[in-house]
Amino acid sequence: MNRKRTLISETFNAKKRKFGADNSGKLHGEDDQDGPVDVKASLVYLMSLFPRKLFNDSLPTIAIKHQLYSLHDARTLVDRQLNLLREQGELLMFQLGFDADAFGLVFTPDYKAKVLAGVEGKKTQGTVEKFLDKVVQSCTDLSFNKDQMLKQYLFTDSEITQLVKSGVLTVRDAGSWWLSVPNLGKFTKYLIQGRKAVLTMVKKSRYGEVMKADLEQRRTTSQVKFHMKYHLHDIMGAELVQRSVFSIFLKTLRFILLISI
Amino acid sequence: MLSFLTARQNGVDGPIRLRRAESTRRVLSLELNHDRDVARVHGNGVNTIDIEAIEGRYMLSGGSDGVIVVYDLENNSKKPQYTCKAICTVGRSSRHVHKFSVETVQWYPHDTGMFISSSFDKTMKVWDTETLKPAEVFQFEGNVYCHHMSPLARKHALIAVGTKDPKVQLCDLKSGSRSHVLQGHKGEVLSVRWSPRYEHILATASADSRVRVWDVRRASGSLFNLDQHNGDKSKASSEAVNAAHDGRVNGLCFTYDGLYLLTTGTDDRVRLWNSATGENTLVNYGKVVNESRKGLKFSVSKGCSPEFMFVPSGSSVAMYAVHTGELVTMLNGHYNSVDCCEFHPDYQELYSGGKDCNILAWVPLLRHPDVEDEGSTAASQSAAQSAVNPAFEDAWSSSDED
Repeated sequence: MNRKRTLISETFNAKKRKFGADNSGKLHGEDDQDGPVDVKASLVYLMSLFPRKLFNDSLPTIAIKHQLYSLHDARTLVDRQLNLLREQGELLMFQLGFDADAFGLVFTPDYKAKVLAGVEGKKTQGTVEKFLDKVVQSCTDLSFNKDQMLKQYLFTDSEITQLVKSGVLTVRDAGSWWLSVPNLGKFTKYLIQGRKAVLTMVKKSRYGEVMKADLEQRRTTSQVKFHMKYHLHDIMGAELVQRSVFSIFLKTLRFILLISI
Repeated sequence: MLSFLTARQNGVDGPIRLRRAESTRRVLSLELNHDRDVARVHGNGVNTIDIEAIEGRYMLSGGSDGVIVVYDLENNSKKPQYTCKAICTVGRSSRHVHKFSVETVQWYPHDTGMFISSSFDKTMKVWDTETLKPAEVFQFEGNVYCHHMSPLARKHALIAVGTKDPKVQLCDLKSGSRSHVLQGHKGEVLSVRWSPRYEHILATASADSRVRVWDVRRASGSLFNLDQHNGDKSKASSEAVNAAHDGRVNGLCFTYDGLYLLTTGTDDRVRLWNSATGENTLVNYGKVVNESRKGLKFSVSKGCSPEFMFVPSGSSVAMYAVHTGELVTMLNGHYNSVDCCEFHPDYQELYSGGKDCNILAWVPLLRHPDVEDEGSTAASQSAAQSAVNPAFEDAWSSSDED
């Protein structure tokens, strides 16, 4: 929209950046605050950090929703773009299970390919294909309840059991299920392990502060199975650590640390 | 800023635009000032602050020691250094003082002759400011967490009271009795707020994670319940369906135009709701640390564009832009956790009180006079002579020869 007069809020934006942090520490993969928020590009970057080989290629690349908050400042805009991508059918969001706020994101074609590959030749193949076509294609819900499954999508009870067995659905409570990814349990286990290890590294350091570049260089223990950057985006986005004023240190918030793990 | 001034002079912009721009600039530059101080009277934490709406001159504060203090905020001394003095206090020596901590104080909305305080000693007292004696005392069965009187009510003089009891009580000031009870919550009511737009609309927040909006004229229950997922049942776990937050909801604040409602909860989230439809606008503020076991009092700016919200978060006050959710700044200055903050709309100042018994005044940074760069050292010597343009200098002399 071409405005003849600027908004009052925009005249103060230039001034605010003078007060704001010095962003010299940002690397290529991370955005600058001016440009339009490109969520898809950031998602592609985050998925490139995901270790495929660790899971023998059985899992599609997963990014966590709050990792995007560590890359972009404007959370509301990120949320809106995510919802747009989900409605267009390009992106799927699912509950990770360990935290009410932690959502995982996968690209739909990736997800479909891996699920079908995993279920190839088994008895459940037909049901899973039907599920992917009918449900995943059309609706963006995170969970489904019994009424929906039986009446709207015309699945039978035994078919639902097959879907749970194949890992596409996980039980939420009596009569409702979350959308899920097969073999997700391993991913969640490694994620929590690695997160704990990285947070301990930050906590143990002097004054509870570490330089981000320094952390990325450090040798990781066998507990940390993912790329260090993946974990860093995770803990920064979930606000388990805080960026200090000069944007190159990571400081832990101790009491948050104790509550979250 | 100069462009706003010239546009105002030429008539291109309306007067309100310049006012909004200057208010926004002032709010963006809030900071602690050496020159402004508030007298320290409380011996225990400050729980609540209220600035009267008529003149913006007097401020009430209630503390955990049961003491209530009235301060004069106006600077009548000619010096910039000013301490807001306590004019009168209802101290521990008074016969009518509250026995336990005072949780909420509010000036009578129409003049400063009266104020109302509610406390953990299960009473709510209506005080006469002149004599500092309670004109009316309302007794309740449980601790009173909060009360609020509608700032624009003409047809009624109801005070909404939130106590440990899940029922919200409405007390009538004109008759001195309880008028009715609003049923619907299942846990203690931590915060109540009347809408600044409609005199019959009331919002209440409770420890059962729900926020309800009521029309007090209706006989049946609440108008609607705020749902964080906007009815999308798939997102929540099944216990938390239809709740405003995932934990206790302990703070409520309407924006000044009454169109939006802000709520804070112990799930460390702040949510912005459309107050007419109850829809969650899904603005994401990030994690706002909230560990308060009682109500949290926060406030919103007035007359700025964009509007700002000041939320106590841990031992600092966080300032967010209301509609975009971005964190503007953290105001650090308290030594212990902050319990309440109040925005002074006329001077764009913020007063915050906390467990460290201090009330801090955050004042906009004054503009420094511009110094010209070229020839500044030479100019400073002749500054006295060149201060006034020679054309305007008074060259009159009483002597005949000149």
